Amino acid sequence: MRRLMRADPKGVLTGVHSLNGNQACVEGALAAGCRFLAAYPIVPAIEAWEWFLERAKDVGATFIQMEDEISALAAVLGASWTGKRSMTITSGPGFSLMMEHLGLAVMLETPCVIVDVQRVGPSIGTPDRPAQGDMMQARWGSHGDYEIIALSPSSPQEMFDFTIKAFNLSERYRVPVMVMADREVAHRKEEVVIPPPSEIMVEPRRYYRGAKSRYLPFKRDRDFVPPMVDIGDGYRFHVTGLTHDDRGYPIMTEECQEYNVHPLVRKIRRYVDEIVQVQEADTEDAEVVIISYGAPSRAALKAMGEARRSGVKVGSLKLVTVWPFPDKRVAELAKKVKAFVVPEMNYGQMVLEVERCSHGRANVVFVPYEEKGFEDDLLSAIRKVCQEKKVREGIIQYHG
Amino acid sequence: MNPFITAFAKGIERSGVDPIKVSVVSDIPFDPGVVNHLHIDFFHTIRGRAIAFGTGLKLGNPALQVVPIIGDLVTLGGNHFVHAGRRNMDLLVICVNNFVYRKIAGELAPSIPPSFSPYSTFEEPFNVPHLANSCGAIYTARWTALHTDELTLSVSEALKKRGFCVIEVLLPGPNYYRRIKEIESDLVNFYYENSVIRDGEDPRNVGITPEGKIVVGKFTDKERPTFIDSYNAQLSSVLGDEFIPYGG
Repeated sequence: MRRLMRADPKGVLTGVHSLNGNQACVEGALAAGCRFLAAYPIVPAIEAWEWFLERAKDVGATFIQMEDEISALAAVLGASWTGKRSMTITSGPGFSLMMEHLGLAVMLETPCVIVDVQRVGPSIGTPDRPAQGDMMQARWGSHGDYEIIALSPSSPQEMFDFTIKAFNLSERYRVPVMVMADREVAHRKEEVVIPPPSEIMVEPRRYYRGAKSRYLPFKRDRDFVPPMVDIGDGYRFHVTGLTHDDRGYPIMTEECQEYNVHPLVRKIRRYVDEIVQVQEADTEDAEVVIISYGAPSRAALKAMGEARRSGVKVGSLKLVTVWPFPDKRVAELAKKVKAFVVPEMNYGQMVLEVERCSHGRANVVFVPYEEKGFEDDLLSAIRKVCQEKKVREGIIQYHG
Repeated sequence: MNPFITAFAKGIERSGVDPIKVSVVSDIPFDPGVVNHLHIDFFHTIRGRAIAFGTGLKLGNPALQVVPIIGDLVTLGGNHFVHAGRRNMDLLVICVNNFVYRKIAGELAPSIPPSFSPYSTFEEPFNVPHLANSCGAIYTARWTALHTDELTLSVSEALKKRGFCVIEVLLPGPNYYRRIKEIESDLVNFYYENSVIRDGEDPRNVGITPEGKIVVGKFTDKERPTFIDSYNAQLSSVLGDEFIPYGG
């Protein structure tokens, strides 16, 4: 049985604070034991960078402004191998630059957290406008086969909570974990409750405990996760981003490819039920379920209340983990409900997953973001889809 | 064994640095097979990013002696090279140069001198010691695979220095030429006949050209506060006693 440990009191700012999402994210990271930040400042994540610098002295954390986001993630990976919990914070353009190192993090099985405060794109887009356009990139951005974990917070409080969760998942499965925030959440200022350190549970790093001479960096435990050591402690190990064996030596054969990559995928897929988390409200009797994540889930809950008052049985499924996607739960619900309504601040990304998992059993309506907000569109989309007599093929695009 | 790796290992021994604290970071296209002979911590990362990765290692644990051995000849990693020099990050960077990307047939590296490629090249190569010196490196040297004793000495000197040190090592052995033109021995002969030792030479004058001599030697050796020194000094001056200096 794995044992969690209590958070280091040094990093926990217990109390009720008025923080924006960026600041709350940093507080979550420090509470989870993060002591290293490498980043390249970018709007709208810049307050996180400033807040980390502000707080670094209190906890003895180190930071460096790297020359770009490529090197920022590289430095984070390096620092993680010295035993420090490490993170980087960025937005869309920087997130794109990080993709090759994301693959390296997966291959070297290096725990780290990447916070992406999403803004509109493509390219530079508008730095200070919220979006959720990086969701598929988070899953498929780096080349090759791998599984990844991503969380999506919808409030400053969740920025705090989910960042701790991200560090814990990252250490548990030795995989980079992404916090997919957006400008709306990152800049919103709200009350954030930070519990005392005794109530914050942190996943300790899984260290190798055997003889130094027998250490193999990729020899896996029964759950496919290999235990780690810190660099410079005399284990004299080799690791490589090339296809490798247990020793971390490059062996580029077909068998080794299978031997190396299969567990990278298995270690997440096998524990998908432990990893996946959703927050449900009123789904038992629901005819329509709003599936949302991040900032739009606030509008979703509001619209749900409004619809219920007018007599339509609406429920809400809010994704905590966006990756892995809660396939099973959505498939179960698809058997019971008439329709899913999916609001997103993009042109339709996670709605593709909803459609995949509903197996043609329920209508899937996509509600895109408009300047005036989601709420009215959600309500009329719900009313409209209730009138559908049969299940329509594909995704129904809602035009407000 | 590879003469470079032998000299590197001897250099670690001579410097008196604990090998446990030495960690090598290399990149593609540097061949990890070479370093796999060494019994030290070794990270083989992606194309050109060894210096950036090494920066994280050094900041994560300042007690480490981090040695990025880069084979990409300041291409993808060019920006990391420039900025690590500017910061005076405490790294010993070894630029392994054999005039082509090893293992990749016929592709040109930016440090390749004209006439060494099938159709020659029209691009100016980097003068690596000059580039390093301009970026702020505190120690620059160049040796060929034939200068093993000098290389050993340079590695041991640079390991003891605090700051951004760059040693360019000219190696024979590009697979492509071995296969197509059997030029490997020619390259060794080329080094033998054309290299000339000029310690203390101004790095501006040490560019490699097909006509000229290959100038080798220890070119610069100076002192400058490292990144961690400046980090501690600046934060101490702003925060006073609140700040506990990092590393040491």
